[in-house]
Amino acid sequence: MLRSISAEWLKLRHSRIGLVLGILPVISLLIGCFNYYFNQTALQNGWYSLWTQVSLFYGEFFLPILIAICCAFVCRLEHANHNWNMILASPISITNLFVAKLFTVGMMIFAAQAFFMFMYWSAGQLLSIPGAFPIETVLWSLRGWFASLSIAALQLGVSIRLKSFATPIGISLCAVFLGIGLYVLNLGLLFPYSLLTIGMGVLSQKGLNSMENILFLLMNSFFILLFGTWSISRLKKKDIASS
Amino acid sequence: MKNMSPPIVETQNLSKTYGGIHRVHNVNLAVQTGQIFGFLGPNGAGKTTTLKMLLGLIKPTEGKVKVFGKDLDRHRPNILNNTGSLIESPSYYGHLTGYENLKVMQRLRSLPGKNIDKVLKIVRLENHKHKKADQYSLGMKQRLGIAMALLAFPSLLILDEPTNGLDPAGIGEIRELIKSLPEQYGITVVLSSHLLSEIEQIATSVGIINDGKLLFQGTMQSLQAANKVTIRFKTPDPARAEKILQSQGYLPKVQGRQLLFTHLPDEEVSYINRLLVEQGLPVTRIEEQKKSLENIFLELTGKERSL
Repeated sequence: MLRSISAEWLKLRHSRIGLVLGILPVISLLIGCFNYYFNQTALQNGWYSLWTQVSLFYGEFFLPILIAICCAFVCRLEHANHNWNMILASPISITNLFVAKLFTVGMMIFAAQAFFMFMYWSAGQLLSIPGAFPIETVLWSLRGWFASLSIAALQLGVSIRLKSFATPIGISLCAVFLGIGLYVLNLGLLFPYSLLTIGMGVLSQKGLNSMENILFLLMNSFFILLFGTWSISRLKKKDIASS
Repeated sequence: MKNMSPPIVETQNLSKTYGGIHRVHNVNLAVQTGQIFGFLGPNGAGKTTTLKMLLGLIKPTEGKVKVFGKDLDRHRPNILNNTGSLIESPSYYGHLTGYENLKVMQRLRSLPGKNIDKVLKIVRLENHKHKKADQYSLGMKQRLGIAMALLAFPSLLILDEPTNGLDPAGIGEIRELIKSLPEQYGITVVLSSHLLSEIEQIATSVGIINDGKLLFQGTMQSLQAANKVTIRFKTPDPARAEKILQSQGYLPKVQGRQLLFTHLPDEEVSYINRLLVEQGLPVTRIEEQKKSLENIFLELTGKERSL
């Protein structure tokens, strides 16, 4: 397993994915900060108000797209030059390969989350928001990261299946809107994209009670396993279409 | 020549259908250890499909694949651990350098790092190892692909059209490299090509495939021997000549004014000649005709079109 992961990391060298990982959180944070800055009369809740603004753009739009981009990226490497032939003819199990890719995407998103949190803190300092930095936002971002993993498992499956780079990203956009719909209908726990909204505390900052937290973790684990198994078994059964 | 050891690659009634059409039909391959097995056939004959089935990249509709005497279905990781391959044009990560590409493979297969330098030297890319693979020429990409396949120094190497798209100098270079593999590293090579001349110069054994069917399999010599020479007798009255010869137990093929024989020893040639002349039939010409491999190949595949 370790060797698959280290091979995946090697493949990321010289790529510009790091740039995308940096830029998308910056854009969402800037938009959020503008909103906050010009609406300070309405937004009276300090750090939490800033969170509602920045996390709205980040958690609802840019992060899901970022996940889709990362997944499409790690799969595009294999779609190019018939590389699936080479990878699947190496003595690496398909499960290993998938988990290594999921882990890699997970680490990318973790880095993006950490960067986002750092910028949130910096923005708060710059806007000289009174009061202490709310520690629970760190927990929210961690929960958001965990929800990202189930989205990533789904997006990886889609990207392995589709050769196109853009189509899976388009699919994720549609899923985002579907996710908001389900969240509004209180069915958020049943859809990975709504789980992200719940986990990040985007639309509601009242937090989750322990029961909801457990349910959140359970549903995410379930989705990761479900989509992971689906992708792996599909790769095992299907012939490699590479031409 | 029967080999006592079991074949290193063996397929039994290997078939693959796409939408009811056979792309590969009941192919029974047997590659012996130490051979360079040339898999020859026109484009679209089913070569790549067969090679992919040998690696488990596509699943056969019917039939079995055995490599190293083991069932591919059950021992795939084990088999792949000892197999290198290059399928459908070279695979590489374009944004990585040649060296980094090999490094990815080395980590995946957990091989010693010194293998990288060794294969770079073998394919003569050591001076270009820090260039991005995207900037390589086609020949260099092909060599990188072979280096990646070779990295583990496997017992079996499967190369799909390894000289495709190379210039003559590059082809010669790759050819010499492949030829040296069985002796130097004990590697058995299975390679495919649509060019007879290629196979003729590299392979020790050959399998000819067309429309998914294996038409011939054996050593290069046996292919030539199987269709070696025809003797043609030209005479003004072939019909009468045929009758005379049939009464003596010969079964010539009549083609215009000519009578055709295959596998005819010298004594019989003179005997037939005497027989006809004694019956008052002039023999105006006796010709020996050697078929080139080209013709054998075209006859087998039934195609006069360019391959």
